[in-house]
Amino acid sequence: MDAIAVPQPQELDGLDDEVFRQVVRQFLRDNYPEDLRNPPKRLHWDENKVWYHKLAEKGWLCPGWPKEHGGLGLSPAKQIILSEEYERHGVARTNDHGIVMLGPLVIRYGTEEQKQRFLPKILTGEHVWCQGYSEPNAGSDLAALRTEAVLDGDHYVVNGQKTWTTLATDANWIFLLVRTDKQAKKQEGISFLLVDMKSPGITVRPIINLELHDEFCEVFFDNVRVPKENLVGQPNKGWDMAKALLGFERIFIGAPRQSAYALSRLRTLADRMGVWDEADFQDRYARLRLDLEDLKALYGVYVAKLKRGEQLGPDVSMLKVIQTELFQRITDTMLEIGGENAGLLEPMEGNRDLNIGGLFIQARPATIYGGSNEIQRNILSKNVLGLPG
Amino acid sequence: MSAALDDTDRAESIRMIRDSAAAVAPPGGDLKRVRALRFTDPGYDRGTLRQMGEMGWIGLRVPEERGGAGLGMGEACALAEALGAGLAPEPLIPCALSAGLLAALDSAGPLDALLAGETVALTAWQERADTLDAPGTADAPRRFVPMASGADTFLVPVREGGKLALYAQPASGADVAIERTQDGGNLGTLRPNIGGAEKLAGDAEAALAAALDEAALATGAYLLGVMERAFAMTTDYLKTRQQFGRIIGTFQALQHRAADLSMQIALTRASVEAAAASLDAGATGDARRAVVSRAKARAAEASMLVTRGCVQLSGGIGYTDDYDVGLYLRKAMVLANQYGSAALHRRRFMALVPESDE
Repeated sequence: MDAIAVPQPQELDGLDDEVFRQVVRQFLRDNYPEDLRNPPKRLHWDENKVWYHKLAEKGWLCPGWPKEHGGLGLSPAKQIILSEEYERHGVARTNDHGIVMLGPLVIRYGTEEQKQRFLPKILTGEHVWCQGYSEPNAGSDLAALRTEAVLDGDHYVVNGQKTWTTLATDANWIFLLVRTDKQAKKQEGISFLLVDMKSPGITVRPIINLELHDEFCEVFFDNVRVPKENLVGQPNKGWDMAKALLGFERIFIGAPRQSAYALSRLRTLADRMGVWDEADFQDRYARLRLDLEDLKALYGVYVAKLKRGEQLGPDVSMLKVIQTELFQRITDTMLEIGGENAGLLEPMEGNRDLNIGGLFIQARPATIYGGSNEIQRNILSKNVLGLPG
Repeated sequence: MSAALDDTDRAESIRMIRDSAAAVAPPGGDLKRVRALRFTDPGYDRGTLRQMGEMGWIGLRVPEERGGAGLGMGEACALAEALGAGLAPEPLIPCALSAGLLAALDSAGPLDALLAGETVALTAWQERADTLDAPGTADAPRRFVPMASGADTFLVPVREGGKLALYAQPASGADVAIERTQDGGNLGTLRPNIGGAEKLAGDAEAALAAALDEAALATGAYLLGVMERAFAMTTDYLKTRQQFGRIIGTFQALQHRAADLSMQIALTRASVEAAAASLDAGATGDARRAVVSRAKARAAEASMLVTRGCVQLSGGIGYTDDYDVGLYLRKAMVLANQYGSAALHRRRFMALVPESDE
């Protein structure tokens, strides 16, 4: 394939979408470290920072941020193309909570001083952020969170516990949802607070997950003093701010890429197991493939809405349900046809494409995180179908 | 012989087996022992296996005149179920398979030491994934030998003329590649060397087929224990976990999911117990194979459904390694396809019990 020229970062948003796609492919061929393609597990900062710094150096780190803050200023449609191409190339996720979650929130709700203070350090990788939302008793019911921040002079004093904090051991800053008004209705007493992880009183404890990986952590706060200028937006308005950023996240979880990846692995496995040509397997495969094609079409409907500049409604929840459950059914099928290989801890025959058990386990939490599928179905039945209750 | 026991005696015999199983797999499930053995070599406790031998479990199905307990498949399944509930990692089912095989031969080789739990003799019969056929190709690698890292002896079936000969090859010096499994155990690939092995007199063909069927059924019973315990933990969780100011078990969506899983467990128990009763009543040939396939197909599929469902119903905590439900899922991942996947057993059932054309 002939190389094509990669324009300056500030010119990317003006490209035709198809040209942009080709540019992204070229960019990845030129820059992405070969040994980081398709990692079997979420990488830690030590492993992925090479790529983070490369993106920063090239000015590609923050696709969704406006250009004046050092981003690419890409439209949602182009961000989706970018993420599709990253997925296609097997690009590892970086420690991206600063880029994806915090940056957009500070840009939208932060003071000028907060923007100057925090955004540049995300762009250089000096600040690595993690997200402190969930708590042991506030998972699906996130608004029930109890970690509290009490004003004491110029500081908030934070006490409580967060959990499922992704890659907290790598992070030096954490953004928190904290309770600042215990009297108010539960969604109305929550604030958004930025905390230096080096503050005295913070303890981080990794949680080993079913992948036997220490991706998640518990983070404990014991009288942690946080300068009050680290509160973003209005006090007690943190819930609305955090929620405003969630819709966009849901379309990403609903993107067909995980299922497409898994289906291509199922095909490889079926060949290897000698069942590909069997009529009953062909029927099962066809069903999964049609589910994937139709998911892609439905996803396209939502992408088109974004392209037209429309807001996504609560019905986007269906994308998450359909995608994550398809991903699981594909990996279930891999397990069913894999014979004894399905129980192996490492990929079969040392071939990463034949990682039956690993992929099966990776597919499990997809129906739990980002608002469990039960919660998504509640949203669909109440907020979309208008059913009572 | 156990088949002669009447129903009351049979129930009593099964109850006694369940009680004695509690010594190794405590009901109420402290899995500290199981966790400590995961991802170690050999992946189980030799002392516990010896204890199983002393209690007569390895030779549970072996006739008394060959040194076994001469009990029925009902007892064997009750035992396997209790061990599954406690996730006991000891290779009791593979050892019992070997015992059944040796007891059927003219020269019993290491049978006595195997029954005592002193020698671990594993049958290395399988030449490809997901099969119940043992072609006995002399030099073909033998795949998927369960818990092979702790073996003392491999029993290698080799086709010679019209017979299936059995060779006992010492594990020491054998070419064995070990791969770890999701449950913390292991599977071995043996490149047999029958030149250095002792040939045991007799034809292993029929005995191996029969022993594989019993191993498949016992594995189904083990999986029944796996899903029962995982489900019990999950319903306990549904009864205590609160979100949105309510016990989550009050949400009808979760109630219905739990009810669905309970029906799969009920079907598995009915299928496994019916198969065991059928074997104990003397079923032979196609009828014997058909009931085994019915039970294993159900157990394999239901165990995945139930353990997956339990992880989902447990939410985030279900995805942590600290929470025991995940251990049950990982065990099901390893055992669901051992001694035949659900698809293999469904196919075999249909071949054995064709629909009549009316």
